[in-house]
Amino acid sequence: MATTTIESFRCMMCEHEYEEKVSKGEDVERSCPKCRSNSIRHLKKKKVAKPN
Amino acid sequence: MGLSSRRAVYIPFPQAVPCSYILNMDDCLGINPIACGKCAEVCEKDAINYDDQGEVVTRDVGAIIVATGLDVYDPTEMDEYGYTRFENVITSMEFERLICAGGPTDGHFVRPSDQERPKRIGFIQCVGSRNPKIGRPYCSNICCMNTIKDTLLLADHYPDTQNSVFYQDIRASGKSFEDMFQRSKEAGTRYIRGLPGDIDEDPKTRHLIVTVENTTSGKLERHELDMVVLSVGVQPSADRDKLASMLTLSKTSDGFFMESHPKLKPVDAPTRGVYFAGFCESPKDIKDSVCQAGAASSRAGALLNAGEIKIEAITSVIDGEACSKCGLCAKVCPYGAITWQKGEVAAVVEAACAGCGACGATCTFGAITMRHFTDDQLIAQVRAILAEKPEDKVFGFACNWCSYAGGDMAGISRIQYPSTNRVIRTMCSARVSEEMVLEAFRCGAPVVLVSGCHYADCHYIDANRQTVKRVQKLWNKLEKAGVRPERLQLEWISAAEGQKFAKVMRQMEELRQTVTADEIAHAREALKPKPKKKPKTKEKEETAPTAS
Repeated sequence: MATTTIESFRCMMCEHEYEEKVSKGEDVERSCPKCRSNSIRHLKKKKVAKPN
Repeated sequence: MGLSSRRAVYIPFPQAVPCSYILNMDDCLGINPIACGKCAEVCEKDAINYDDQGEVVTRDVGAIIVATGLDVYDPTEMDEYGYTRFENVITSMEFERLICAGGPTDGHFVRPSDQERPKRIGFIQCVGSRNPKIGRPYCSNICCMNTIKDTLLLADHYPDTQNSVFYQDIRASGKSFEDMFQRSKEAGTRYIRGLPGDIDEDPKTRHLIVTVENTTSGKLERHELDMVVLSVGVQPSADRDKLASMLTLSKTSDGFFMESHPKLKPVDAPTRGVYFAGFCESPKDIKDSVCQAGAASSRAGALLNAGEIKIEAITSVIDGEACSKCGLCAKVCPYGAITWQKGEVAAVVEAACAGCGACGATCTFGAITMRHFTDDQLIAQVRAILAEKPEDKVFGFACNWCSYAGGDMAGISRIQYPSTNRVIRTMCSARVSEEMVLEAFRCGAPVVLVSGCHYADCHYIDANRQTVKRVQKLWNKLEKAGVRPERLQLEWISAAEGQKFAKVMRQMEELRQTVTADEIAHAREALKPKPKKKPKTKEKEETAPTAS
Protein backbone atom coordinates (compact mmCIF):
# COMPACT_ATOMS: atom_id res chain seq x y z
CA MET A 1 0.00 0.00 0.00
CA ALA A 2 1.39 3.39 -1.01
CA THR A 3 2.38 5.74 1.80
CA THR A 4 0.17 8.80 1.95
CA THR A 5 1.26 12.06 3.51
CA ILE A 6 -0.46 15.38 3.94
CA GLU A 7 1.64 18.03 2.28
CA SER A 8 1.42 21.77 1.88
CA PHE A 9 1.24 23.66 -1.38
CA ARG A 10 1.27 27.31 -2.28
CA CYS A 11 -0.18 28.86 -5.40
CA MET A 12 2.39 31.26 -6.81
CA MET A 13 -0.30 33.12 -8.72
CA CYS A 14 -2.90 33.91 -6.02
CA GLU A 15 -0.78 33.02 -2.93
CA HIS A 16 -3.43 30.59 -1.71
CA GLU A 17 -1.96 27.95 0.61
CA TYR A 18 -3.60 24.57 1.06
CA GLU A 19 -2.92 21.01 2.16
CA GLU A 20 -3.48 17.88 0.12
CA LYS A 21 -3.00 14.14 0.52
CA VAL A 22 -0.07 12.94 -1.54
CA SER A 23 0.63 9.28 -2.27
CA LYS A 24 4.22 8.24 -2.76
CA GLY A 25 5.08 8.03 -6.45
CA GLU A 26 1.82 9.58 -7.64
CA ASP A 27 1.86 11.46 -10.92
CA VAL A 28 -0.73 14.18 -10.64
CA GLU A 29 -1.09 17.49 -12.43
CA ARG A 30 -1.68 20.09 -9.74
CA SER A 31 -3.76 23.21 -9.98
CA CYS A 32 -4.81 25.75 -7.39
CA PRO A 33 -8.25 24.94 -5.95
CA LYS A 34 -8.94 28.66 -5.79
CA CYS A 35 -7.68 30.16 -9.07
CA ARG A 36 -6.86 26.99 -11.14
CA SER A 37 -3.30 28.16 -11.80
CA ASN A 38 -0.65 25.45 -12.30
CA SER A 39 2.05 27.44 -10.51
CA ILE A 40 1.92 25.26 -7.43
CA ARG A 41 4.90 25.31 -5.13
CA HIS A 42 5.42 22.23 -3.01
CA LEU A 43 6.16 23.29 0.57
CA LYS A 44 7.53 21.16 3.39
CA LYS A 45 6.17 17.71 4.28
CA LYS A 46 3.74 17.78 7.16
CA LYS A 47 2.51 14.47 8.56
CA VAL A 48 1.53 10.95 7.64
CA ALA A 49 -2.14 10.74 6.72
CA LYS A 50 -4.40 8.26 8.47
CA PRO A 51 -5.77 5.55 6.18
CA ASN A 52 -9.43 5.97 5.19
CA MET B 1 -15.46 -18.24 -12.85
CA GLY B 2 -16.00 -20.32 -9.75
CA LEU B 3 -19.07 -21.91 -11.34
CA SER B 4 -17.53 -25.35 -11.67
CA SER B 5 -14.33 -27.22 -10.85
CA ARG B 6 -11.54 -27.51 -13.39
CA ARG B 7 -9.04 -30.33 -13.85
CA ALA B 8 -5.30 -29.86 -13.83
CA VAL B 9 -5.26 -30.49 -17.60
CA TYR B 10 -7.65 -28.34 -19.60
CA ILE B 11 -8.29 -26.32 -22.74
CA PRO B 12 -8.60 -22.65 -21.67
CA PHE B 13 -11.94 -22.25 -23.48
CA PRO B 14 -13.65 -24.13 -26.31
CA GLN B 15 -12.71 -21.60 -29.00
CA ALA B 16 -9.06 -21.27 -27.89
CA VAL B 17 -6.44 -20.93 -30.60
CA PRO B 18 -4.42 -23.15 -30.63
CA CYS B 19 -6.95 -25.62 -29.28
CA SER B 20 -4.45 -27.47 -27.11
CA TYR B 21 -4.36 -28.53 -23.49
CA ILE B 22 -2.63 -26.73 -20.66
CA LEU B 23 -1.13 -28.54 -17.68
CA ASN B 24 -1.52 -26.43 -14.55
CA MET B 25 1.44 -27.44 -12.40
CA ASP B 26 -0.09 -25.83 -9.30
CA ASP B 27 -2.86 -28.44 -9.32
CA CYS B 28 -0.99 -31.35 -10.94
CA LEU B 29 0.11 -34.35 -8.86
CA GLY B 30 2.55 -35.58 -11.46
CA ILE B 31 5.68 -34.13 -9.97
CA ASN B 32 7.76 -35.49 -7.14
CA PRO B 33 7.16 -36.73 -4.52
CA ILE B 34 3.66 -37.82 -5.60
CA ALA B 35 3.60 -39.29 -9.09
CA CYS B 36 0.28 -39.62 -10.89
CA GLY B 37 1.43 -39.54 -14.51
CA LYS B 38 -1.93 -40.67 -15.93
CA CYS B 39 -1.99 -37.97 -18.60
CA ALA B 40 1.53 -38.91 -19.77
CA GLU B 41 0.45 -42.54 -20.02
CA VAL B 42 -2.48 -41.81 -22.32
CA CYS B 43 -0.84 -39.12 -24.45
CA GLU B 44 0.07 -40.88 -27.70
CA LYS B 45 2.18 -37.97 -28.93
CA ASP B 46 4.36 -37.89 -25.80
CA ALA B 47 3.63 -34.20 -25.53
CA ILE B 48 3.74 -34.06 -21.74
CA ASN B 49 6.97 -33.09 -20.07
CA TYR B 50 6.75 -32.59 -16.31
CA ASP B 51 10.24 -31.13 -16.17
CA ASP B 52 9.44 -28.34 -18.58
CA GLN B 53 10.35 -25.04 -17.00
CA GLY B 54 9.68 -21.43 -17.85
CA GLU B 55 12.60 -19.76 -19.56
CA VAL B 56 13.59 -16.25 -20.53
CA VAL B 57 13.93 -16.03 -24.31
CA THR B 58 15.81 -13.12 -25.88
CA ARG B 59 14.76 -12.02 -29.35
CA ASP B 60 16.09 -9.18 -31.46
CA VAL B 61 13.06 -7.45 -32.98
CA GLY B 62 12.45 -4.37 -35.07
CA ALA B 63 8.93 -3.58 -33.88
CA ILE B 64 6.68 -4.49 -30.98
CA ILE B 65 2.88 -4.59 -30.99
CA VAL B 66 1.41 -4.24 -27.51
CA ALA B 67 -1.89 -6.11 -27.27
CA THR B 68 -2.16 -6.91 -23.59
CA GLY B 69 -5.95 -6.87 -23.51
CA LEU B 70 -8.11 -6.28 -20.49
CA ASP B 71 -9.11 -7.43 -17.04
CA VAL B 72 -12.71 -7.59 -15.88
CA TYR B 73 -13.77 -5.43 -12.96
CA ASP B 74 -14.48 -7.29 -9.71
CA PRO B 75 -17.68 -5.74 -8.27
CA THR B 76 -17.25 -7.15 -4.75
CA GLU B 77 -16.36 -3.68 -3.41
CA MET B 78 -19.74 -2.32 -4.56
CA ASP B 79 -21.53 -3.72 -1.55
CA GLU B 80 -24.94 -2.30 -2.50
CA TYR B 81 -25.23 -4.90 -5.26
CA GLY B 82 -24.52 -7.83 -2.94
CA TYR B 83 -22.15 -9.64 -5.28
CA THR B 84 -20.68 -12.66 -3.43
CA ARG B 85 -23.28 -12.10 -0.64
CA PHE B 86 -26.20 -13.26 -2.77
CA GLU B 87 -25.73 -16.34 -4.90
CA ASN B 88 -28.12 -15.15 -7.59
CA VAL B 89 -26.21 -11.94 -8.26
CA ILE B 90 -23.72 -12.78 -10.99
CA THR B 91 -21.51 -10.81 -13.36
CA SER B 92 -21.96 -10.57 -17.11
CA MET B 93 -18.91 -12.81 -17.59
CA GLU B 94 -20.45 -15.49 -15.37
CA PHE B 95 -23.69 -15.11 -17.34
CA GLU B 96 -21.73 -15.81 -20.54
CA ARG B 97 -20.40 -19.01 -18.97
CA LEU B 98 -23.89 -20.06 -17.91
CA ILE B 99 -25.39 -19.71 -21.36
CA CYS B 100 -22.36 -21.16 -23.16
CA ALA B 101 -22.85 -24.64 -24.59
CA GLY B 102 -19.37 -25.55 -23.36
CA GLY B 103 -20.03 -24.09 -19.90
CA PRO B 104 -20.67 -25.82 -16.58
CA THR B 105 -24.41 -26.30 -17.29
CA ASP B 106 -23.98 -27.27 -20.97
CA GLY B 107 -25.75 -24.07 -21.94
CA HIS B 108 -28.84 -24.67 -19.79
CA PHE B 109 -29.66 -21.36 -18.20
CA VAL B 110 -30.22 -21.92 -14.47
CA ARG B 111 -29.76 -19.77 -11.43
CA PRO B 112 -26.96 -20.80 -9.06
CA SER B 113 -28.99 -21.08 -5.83
CA ASP B 114 -31.48 -23.80 -6.85
CA GLN B 115 -30.55 -24.78 -10.43
CA GLU B 116 -34.03 -23.63 -11.55
CA ARG B 117 -34.50 -21.55 -14.66
CA PRO B 118 -34.92 -17.87 -13.73
CA LYS B 119 -37.84 -16.07 -15.33
CA ARG B 120 -37.31 -12.51 -14.11
CA ILE B 121 -33.84 -11.26 -14.84
CA GLY B 122 -32.40 -7.82 -14.14
CA PHE B 123 -29.32 -6.40 -15.83
CA ILE B 124 -27.55 -3.53 -14.06
CA GLN B 125 -25.40 -1.39 -16.33
CA CYS B 126 -22.25 0.63 -15.62
CA VAL B 127 -21.01 -1.55 -12.73
CA GLY B 128 -17.43 -0.34 -12.46
CA SER B 129 -17.76 2.11 -15.33
CA ARG B 130 -18.50 5.85 -15.43
CA ASN B 131 -18.06 6.01 -11.67
CA PRO B 132 -15.42 8.48 -10.48
CA LYS B 133 -16.14 7.51 -6.85
CA ILE B 134 -14.40 4.18 -7.38
CA GLY B 135 -11.76 5.67 -9.65
CA ARG B 136 -13.34 4.51 -12.91
CA PRO B 137 -14.68 7.56 -14.70
CA TYR B 138 -14.48 6.08 -18.19
CA CYS B 139 -17.13 4.24 -20.23
CA SER B 140 -16.16 0.62 -20.88
CA ASN B 141 -17.71 0.86 -24.34
CA ILE B 142 -18.81 -2.77 -24.68
CA CYS B 143 -21.26 -3.36 -21.80
CA CYS B 144 -24.41 -1.78 -23.31
CA MET B 145 -24.25 -3.83 -26.49
CA ASN B 146 -23.31 -6.97 -24.56
CA THR B 147 -26.44 -6.61 -22.43
CA ILE B 148 -28.64 -5.90 -25.47
CA LYS B 149 -27.21 -9.03 -27.09
CA ASP B 150 -27.94 -11.04 -23.93
CA THR B 151 -31.54 -9.82 -23.74
CA LEU B 152 -32.09 -10.78 -27.39
CA LEU B 153 -30.54 -14.18 -26.74
CA LEU B 154 -32.80 -14.80 -23.75
CA ALA B 155 -35.88 -13.56 -25.64
CA ASP B 156 -35.03 -15.94 -28.46
CA HIS B 157 -34.34 -19.03 -26.33
CA TYR B 158 -36.76 -18.42 -23.46
CA PRO B 159 -39.66 -16.22 -24.68
CA ASP B 160 -41.38 -16.38 -21.28
CA THR B 161 -38.45 -14.61 -19.56
CA GLN B 162 -39.04 -11.05 -18.39
CA ASN B 163 -35.85 -8.98 -18.76
CA SER B 164 -35.30 -5.60 -17.10
CA VAL B 165 -32.30 -3.42 -17.81
CA PHE B 166 -31.34 -0.71 -15.30
CA TYR B 167 -29.23 1.90 -17.03
CA GLN B 168 -28.11 5.53 -16.93
CA ASP B 169 -27.54 5.84 -20.70
CA ILE B 170 -27.64 3.29 -23.48
CA ARG B 171 -24.68 3.86 -25.76
CA ALA B 172 -25.52 2.04 -28.97
CA SER B 173 -23.26 3.87 -31.39
CA GLY B 174 -22.04 1.58 -34.14
CA LYS B 175 -23.23 -0.15 -37.25
CA SER B 176 -26.69 -1.73 -36.67
CA PHE B 177 -26.37 -1.25 -32.90
CA GLU B 178 -29.38 1.07 -32.66
CA ASP B 179 -31.36 -1.50 -34.62
CA MET B 180 -30.38 -4.18 -32.09
CA PHE B 181 -31.46 -1.89 -29.25
CA GLN B 182 -34.87 -1.34 -30.86
CA ARG B 183 -35.28 -5.09 -31.44
CA SER B 184 -34.48 -5.75 -27.79
CA LYS B 185 -37.22 -3.33 -26.74
CA GLU B 186 -39.66 -4.85 -29.22
CA ALA B 187 -38.84 -8.29 -27.78
CA GLY B 188 -40.26 -7.10 -24.47
CA THR B 189 -37.18 -6.03 -22.54
CA ARG B 190 -37.99 -3.25 -20.09
CA TYR B 191 -35.45 -0.42 -19.97
CA ILE B 192 -35.60 1.43 -16.66
CA ARG B 193 -33.50 4.58 -16.47
CA GLY B 194 -31.83 4.60 -13.07
CA LEU B 195 -29.15 2.59 -11.32
CA PRO B 196 -30.30 0.58 -8.27
CA GLY B 197 -29.28 1.89 -4.88
CA ASP B 198 -29.75 -1.41 -3.09
CA ILE B 199 -30.33 -5.12 -3.65
CA ASP B 200 -31.80 -7.35 -0.96
CA GLU B 201 -32.64 -11.04 -0.87
CA ASP B 202 -35.75 -12.83 0.31
CA PRO B 203 -34.21 -15.58 2.48
CA LYS B 204 -37.06 -18.02 1.75
CA THR B 205 -37.38 -17.80 -2.01
CA ARG B 206 -33.87 -16.42 -2.68
CA HIS B 207 -35.54 -13.85 -4.94
CA LEU B 208 -33.82 -10.48 -5.17
CA ILE B 209 -35.49 -7.17 -4.33
CA VAL B 210 -34.01 -4.33 -6.34
CA THR B 211 -34.69 -0.77 -5.19
CA VAL B 212 -34.22 1.87 -7.85
CA GLU B 213 -35.18 5.47 -8.49
CA ASN B 214 -36.71 5.60 -11.94
CA THR B 215 -35.36 8.92 -13.16
CA THR B 216 -37.87 9.02 -16.03
CA SER B 217 -40.93 8.87 -13.76
CA GLY B 218 -39.17 10.28 -10.72
CA LYS B 219 -40.53 7.47 -8.54
CA LEU B 220 -38.87 4.98 -6.23
CA GLU B 221 -39.52 1.46 -7.51
CA ARG B 222 -38.97 -2.01 -6.09
CA HIS B 223 -38.54 -4.93 -8.48
CA GLU B 224 -38.62 -8.59 -7.43
CA LEU B 225 -36.30 -10.60 -9.64
CA ASP B 226 -35.04 -14.18 -9.81
CA MET B 227 -31.55 -13.23 -10.86
CA VAL B 228 -29.46 -10.09 -11.29
CA VAL B 229 -26.65 -9.79 -13.83
CA LEU B 230 -24.08 -7.07 -13.10
CA SER B 231 -22.84 -5.68 -16.39
CA VAL B 232 -19.28 -5.22 -15.22
CA GLY B 233 -16.84 -2.79 -16.73
CA VAL B 234 -13.39 -3.61 -17.95
CA GLN B 235 -9.97 -2.24 -17.10
CA PRO B 236 -6.45 -2.34 -18.53
CA SER B 237 -4.49 -5.45 -17.61
CA ALA B 238 -2.83 -5.50 -14.22
CA ASP B 239 0.75 -5.94 -15.45
CA ARG B 240 0.68 -2.81 -17.62
CA ASP B 241 3.01 -0.86 -15.31
CA LYS B 242 5.81 -3.36 -15.80
CA LEU B 243 5.39 -3.20 -19.55
CA ALA B 244 5.15 0.60 -19.49
CA SER B 245 8.46 0.73 -17.67
CA MET B 246 10.12 -1.72 -20.09
CA LEU B 247 8.96 0.05 -23.24
CA THR B 248 8.94 3.62 -21.83
CA LEU B 249 5.22 3.99 -22.49
CA SER B 250 3.04 6.64 -20.96
CA LYS B 251 -0.45 6.14 -19.58
CA THR B 252 -3.59 8.22 -19.43
CA SER B 253 -5.16 9.03 -16.09
CA ASP B 254 -7.43 5.99 -16.62
CA GLY B 255 -4.41 3.70 -16.90
CA PHE B 256 -4.60 2.98 -20.63
CA PHE B 257 -1.51 3.35 -22.77
CA MET B 258 -1.28 6.69 -24.49
CA GLU B 259 -0.92 6.89 -28.23
CA SER B 260 1.56 9.19 -29.93
CA HIS B 261 -1.21 11.38 -31.39
CA PRO B 262 -4.96 10.76 -31.02
CA LYS B 263 -5.75 11.64 -34.64
CA LEU B 264 -2.59 11.31 -36.72
CA LYS B 265 -0.87 8.40 -34.98
CA PRO B 266 -3.60 6.51 -33.15
CA VAL B 267 -1.80 3.14 -33.09
CA ASP B 268 1.75 4.41 -32.51
CA ALA B 269 3.29 4.57 -29.07
CA PRO B 270 5.43 7.64 -28.33
CA THR B 271 8.39 5.24 -28.36
CA ARG B 272 9.30 4.53 -31.95
CA GLY B 273 8.71 1.00 -33.20
CA VAL B 274 6.03 0.25 -30.60
CA TYR B 275 2.37 0.01 -31.65
CA PHE B 276 -0.91 -0.66 -29.87
CA ALA B 277 -3.76 -2.98 -30.69
CA GLY B 278 -6.94 -3.45 -28.74
CA PHE B 279 -8.01 -2.65 -25.25
CA CYS B 280 -4.61 -1.69 -23.87
CA GLU B 281 -4.96 1.67 -25.64
CA SER B 282 -8.64 2.41 -24.86
CA PRO B 283 -11.92 0.55 -24.28
CA LYS B 284 -13.17 -0.83 -27.58
CA ASP B 285 -15.16 -3.74 -28.98
CA ILE B 286 -13.91 -6.64 -31.09
CA LYS B 287 -14.48 -4.88 -34.40
CA ASP B 288 -12.46 -1.83 -33.41
CA SER B 289 -9.76 -4.03 -31.90
CA VAL B 290 -9.44 -5.96 -35.14
CA CYS B 291 -9.23 -2.68 -37.10
CA GLN B 292 -6.56 -1.38 -34.78
CA ALA B 293 -4.62 -4.64 -34.92
CA GLY B 294 -4.63 -4.42 -38.72
CA ALA B 295 -3.42 -0.85 -38.59
CA ALA B 296 -0.71 -1.70 -36.05
CA SER B 297 0.60 -4.60 -38.11
CA SER B 298 0.62 -2.38 -41.22
CA ARG B 299 2.58 0.29 -39.38
CA ALA B 300 5.02 -2.29 -38.07
CA GLY B 301 5.37 -3.79 -41.56
CA ALA B 302 6.05 -0.38 -43.06
CA LEU B 303 8.78 0.22 -40.51
CA LEU B 304 10.40 -3.17 -40.98
CA ASN B 305 10.33 -2.96 -44.77
CA ALA B 306 11.57 0.59 -44.97
CA GLY B 307 15.21 -0.42 -45.12
CA GLU B 308 16.26 2.98 -43.85
CA ILE B 309 14.69 4.88 -41.01
CA LYS B 310 14.23 8.62 -41.28
CA ILE B 311 14.62 10.42 -38.01
CA GLU B 312 13.98 14.01 -37.04
CA ALA B 313 17.01 16.27 -37.17
CA ILE B 314 16.17 17.59 -33.69
CA THR B 315 18.14 15.21 -31.53
CA SER B 316 20.72 15.48 -28.79
CA VAL B 317 24.45 15.20 -29.30
CA ILE B 318 26.85 14.56 -26.44
CA ASP B 319 30.30 16.05 -26.36
CA GLY B 320 32.37 13.28 -24.85
CA GLU B 321 35.11 15.62 -23.68
CA ALA B 322 32.74 17.89 -21.76
CA CYS B 323 30.70 15.02 -20.28
CA SER B 324 31.26 14.63 -16.55
CA LYS B 325 30.00 11.02 -16.62
CA CYS B 326 27.36 11.82 -14.01
CA GLY B 327 24.53 10.02 -15.85
CA LEU B 328 21.84 12.61 -15.01
CA CYS B 329 20.90 12.90 -18.68
CA ALA B 330 20.21 9.17 -18.90
CA LYS B 331 17.96 9.38 -15.84
CA VAL B 332 15.76 12.16 -17.23
CA CYS B 333 15.43 10.80 -20.79
CA PRO B 334 11.82 9.60 -21.10
CA TYR B 335 12.71 7.35 -24.05
CA GLY B 336 15.72 5.63 -22.54
CA ALA B 337 17.62 6.97 -25.56
CA ILE B 338 20.78 7.75 -23.60
CA THR B 339 23.07 4.90 -22.67
CA TRP B 340 25.36 5.37 -19.73
CA GLN B 341 27.44 3.19 -17.43
CA LYS B 342 29.01 4.37 -14.19
CA GLY B 343 32.32 6.04 -14.93
CA GLU B 344 31.65 6.20 -18.64
CA VAL B 345 30.66 8.95 -21.04
CA ALA B 346 26.96 8.98 -21.94
CA ALA B 347 25.92 8.34 -25.55
CA VAL B 348 22.71 9.14 -27.44
CA VAL B 349 20.91 6.49 -29.50
CA GLU B 350 19.74 8.87 -32.21
CA ALA B 351 17.10 6.52 -33.60
CA ALA B 352 15.43 6.48 -30.19
CA CYS B 353 15.86 10.18 -29.34
CA ALA B 354 12.65 12.15 -29.90
CA GLY B 355 14.20 15.55 -29.28
CA CYS B 356 12.45 16.79 -26.15
CA GLY B 357 15.65 18.36 -24.85
CA ALA B 358 15.19 17.34 -21.23
CA CYS B 359 18.76 16.02 -21.20
CA GLY B 360 20.18 19.26 -22.57
CA ALA B 361 18.45 21.31 -19.89
CA THR B 362 19.61 18.96 -17.15
CA CYS B 363 23.28 18.89 -18.13
CA THR B 364 25.01 21.69 -16.27
CA PHE B 365 28.35 20.94 -17.91
CA GLY B 366 27.29 22.07 -21.37
CA ALA B 367 28.06 18.63 -22.73
CA ILE B 368 24.74 18.19 -24.55
CA THR B 369 23.79 20.09 -27.67
CA MET B 370 20.19 19.97 -28.77
CA ARG B 371 20.25 20.34 -32.52
CA HIS B 372 18.19 23.36 -33.72
CA PHE B 373 17.49 24.37 -30.11
CA THR B 374 20.97 24.81 -28.74
CA ASP B 375 21.65 26.62 -25.48
CA ASP B 376 23.42 29.38 -27.37
CA GLN B 377 20.51 29.88 -29.76
CA LEU B 378 17.93 30.03 -26.99
CA ILE B 379 20.02 32.32 -24.77
CA ALA B 380 20.59 34.60 -27.78
CA GLN B 381 16.82 34.78 -28.27
CA VAL B 382 16.32 35.65 -24.60
CA ARG B 383 18.88 38.46 -24.84
CA ALA B 384 17.50 39.78 -28.09
CA ILE B 385 13.92 39.93 -26.81
CA LEU B 386 14.94 41.65 -23.58
CA ALA B 387 17.52 43.98 -25.14
CA GLU B 388 15.17 46.96 -25.18
CA LYS B 389 12.71 47.98 -22.48
CA PRO B 390 12.59 44.55 -20.80
CA GLU B 391 10.54 46.03 -17.94
CA ASP B 392 7.58 46.40 -20.32
CA LYS B 393 7.57 42.78 -21.44
CA VAL B 394 5.94 39.60 -20.24
CA PHE B 395 8.53 37.03 -21.13
CA GLY B 396 7.83 33.33 -21.58
CA PHE B 397 8.78 29.94 -22.94
CA ALA B 398 6.15 27.77 -24.62
CA CYS B 399 6.33 24.20 -25.82
CA ASN B 400 5.90 23.60 -29.52
CA TRP B 401 2.99 21.17 -29.38
CA CYS B 402 0.56 22.63 -26.88
CA SER B 403 1.27 26.03 -25.33
CA TYR B 404 2.65 27.68 -28.43
CA ALA B 405 -0.25 26.22 -30.42
CA GLY B 406 -2.57 27.52 -27.67
CA GLY B 407 -1.18 30.98 -28.38
CA ASP B 408 -1.94 30.44 -32.07
CA MET B 409 -5.44 29.36 -31.17
CA ALA B 410 -5.94 32.54 -29.15
CA GLY B 411 -4.74 34.50 -32.18
CA ILE B 412 -6.88 32.84 -34.82
CA SER B 413 -9.88 32.99 -32.47
CA ARG B 414 -9.21 36.74 -32.13
CA ILE B 415 -9.22 36.55 -28.35
CA GLN B 416 -7.97 39.78 -26.84
CA TYR B 417 -4.96 39.71 -24.53
CA PRO B 418 -2.16 42.17 -23.71
CA SER B 419 0.37 42.73 -26.46
CA THR B 420 3.27 42.81 -24.00
CA ASN B 421 4.00 39.09 -24.19
CA ARG B 422 7.10 37.73 -25.90
CA VAL B 423 7.28 33.96 -26.20
CA ILE B 424 10.16 31.69 -27.17
CA ARG B 425 9.25 28.32 -28.64
CA THR B 426 10.98 25.15 -27.45
CA MET B 427 10.07 21.60 -28.46
CA CYS B 428 9.16 20.72 -24.86
CA SER B 429 8.95 22.76 -21.67
CA ALA B 430 11.58 20.36 -20.31
CA ARG B 431 14.08 21.99 -22.71
CA VAL B 432 13.97 25.21 -20.64
CA SER B 433 17.01 25.10 -18.41
CA GLU B 434 17.59 26.95 -15.15
CA GLU B 435 20.19 29.05 -16.90
CA MET B 436 17.69 30.29 -19.51
CA VAL B 437 15.23 31.44 -16.85
CA LEU B 438 17.96 33.07 -14.77
CA GLU B 439 19.35 34.77 -17.86
CA ALA B 440 15.93 36.27 -18.53
CA PHE B 441 15.87 37.77 -15.04
CA ARG B 442 19.44 38.98 -15.48
CA CYS B 443 18.36 40.72 -18.67
CA GLY B 444 15.68 42.58 -16.72
CA ALA B 445 12.56 40.47 -17.32
CA PRO B 446 9.97 41.46 -14.71
CA VAL B 447 8.18 38.11 -14.98
CA VAL B 448 8.93 34.79 -16.67
CA LEU B 449 6.40 32.19 -17.73
CA VAL B 450 7.24 28.55 -18.46
CA SER B 451 4.37 26.74 -20.13
CA GLY B 452 3.90 23.27 -21.53
CA CYS B 453 1.42 20.51 -22.24
CA HIS B 454 -0.96 19.16 -19.63
CA TYR B 455 0.35 16.01 -17.94
CA ALA B 456 -1.84 13.70 -20.02
CA ASP B 457 -0.90 15.45 -23.26
CA CYS B 458 2.89 15.55 -22.96
CA HIS B 459 4.24 14.70 -26.40
CA TYR B 460 7.42 13.30 -24.91
CA ILE B 461 5.89 10.66 -22.60
CA ASP B 462 6.44 12.44 -19.28
CA ALA B 463 9.23 14.92 -19.99
CA ASN B 464 7.23 17.83 -18.56
CA ARG B 465 7.56 16.33 -15.06
CA GLN B 466 11.18 17.48 -15.32
CA THR B 467 9.86 20.99 -15.93
CA VAL B 468 7.97 20.86 -12.63
CA LYS B 469 11.07 19.72 -10.75
CA ARG B 470 13.17 22.44 -12.37
CA VAL B 471 10.69 25.21 -11.64
CA GLN B 472 10.45 24.05 -8.00
CA LYS B 473 14.24 24.33 -7.76
CA LEU B 474 14.15 27.73 -9.40
CA TRP B 475 11.56 29.05 -6.94
CA ASN B 476 13.84 28.01 -4.09
CA LYS B 477 16.84 29.55 -5.79
CA LEU B 478 15.06 32.84 -6.46
CA GLU B 479 13.82 33.03 -2.88
CA LYS B 480 17.33 32.38 -1.60
CA ALA B 481 18.64 35.19 -3.78
CA GLY B 482 16.02 37.59 -2.41
CA VAL B 483 14.03 37.64 -5.67
CA ARG B 484 10.26 37.31 -5.38
CA PRO B 485 9.65 33.71 -6.56
CA GLU B 486 6.15 34.63 -7.79
CA ARG B 487 7.84 36.37 -10.71
CA LEU B 488 8.34 32.91 -12.20
CA GLN B 489 5.13 31.20 -13.23
CA LEU B 490 4.31 27.74 -14.57
CA GLU B 491 1.22 26.90 -16.63
CA TRP B 492 -0.06 23.94 -18.63
CA ILE B 493 -1.90 25.14 -21.72
CA SER B 494 -3.17 22.78 -24.41
CA ALA B 495 -3.40 23.59 -28.12
CA ALA B 496 -7.16 23.99 -27.81
CA GLU B 497 -6.98 26.33 -24.83
CA GLY B 498 -6.76 29.67 -26.56
CA GLN B 499 -8.95 31.13 -23.85
CA LYS B 500 -6.59 29.90 -21.16
CA PHE B 501 -3.57 31.26 -23.00
CA ALA B 502 -5.21 34.69 -23.11
CA LYS B 503 -6.22 34.46 -19.45
CA VAL B 504 -2.69 33.51 -18.40
CA MET B 505 -1.27 36.39 -20.43
CA ARG B 506 -3.66 38.82 -18.74
CA GLN B 507 -2.65 37.48 -15.33
CA MET B 508 1.02 37.72 -16.25
CA GLU B 509 0.52 41.32 -17.34
CA GLU B 510 -1.16 42.14 -14.02
CA LEU B 511 1.76 40.48 -12.26
CA ARG B 512 4.26 42.42 -14.37
CA GLN B 513 2.71 45.70 -13.29
CA THR B 514 3.38 44.83 -9.63
CA VAL B 515 7.11 44.36 -10.22
CA THR B 516 9.06 47.49 -9.35
CA ALA B 517 12.20 48.83 -11.02
CA ASP B 518 14.11 48.16 -7.79
CA GLU B 519 13.08 44.51 -7.87
CA ILE B 520 14.26 44.17 -11.46
CA ALA B 521 17.59 45.82 -10.62
CA HIS B 522 18.04 43.60 -7.56
CA ALA B 523 17.38 40.46 -9.61
CA ARG B 524 19.93 41.56 -12.21
CA GLU B 525 22.59 41.78 -9.49
CA ALA B 526 21.56 38.92 -7.23
CA LEU B 527 21.38 36.37 -10.03
CA LYS B 528 24.70 37.20 -11.61
CA PRO B 529 26.68 34.02 -12.10
CA LYS B 530 29.25 33.54 -9.38
CA PRO B 531 32.83 33.35 -10.57
CA LYS B 532 33.95 29.78 -10.70
CA LYS B 533 36.31 28.71 -7.96
CA LYS B 534 39.78 28.09 -9.14
CA PRO B 535 40.57 24.41 -9.03
CA LYS B 536 43.22 23.42 -6.56
CA THR B 537 46.46 23.06 -8.43
CA LYS B 538 48.84 20.26 -7.73
CA GLU B 539 51.74 22.69 -7.83
CA LYS B 540 50.84 24.12 -4.41
CA GLU B 541 50.65 20.68 -2.94
CA GLU B 542 53.97 19.81 -4.45
CA THR B 543 55.69 22.97 -3.20
CA ALA B 544 54.19 22.83 0.28
CA PRO B 545 56.69 21.83 2.95
CA THR B 546 56.29 18.26 4.03
CA ALA B 547 56.79 17.13 7.59
CA SER B 548 59.72 14.88 7.85
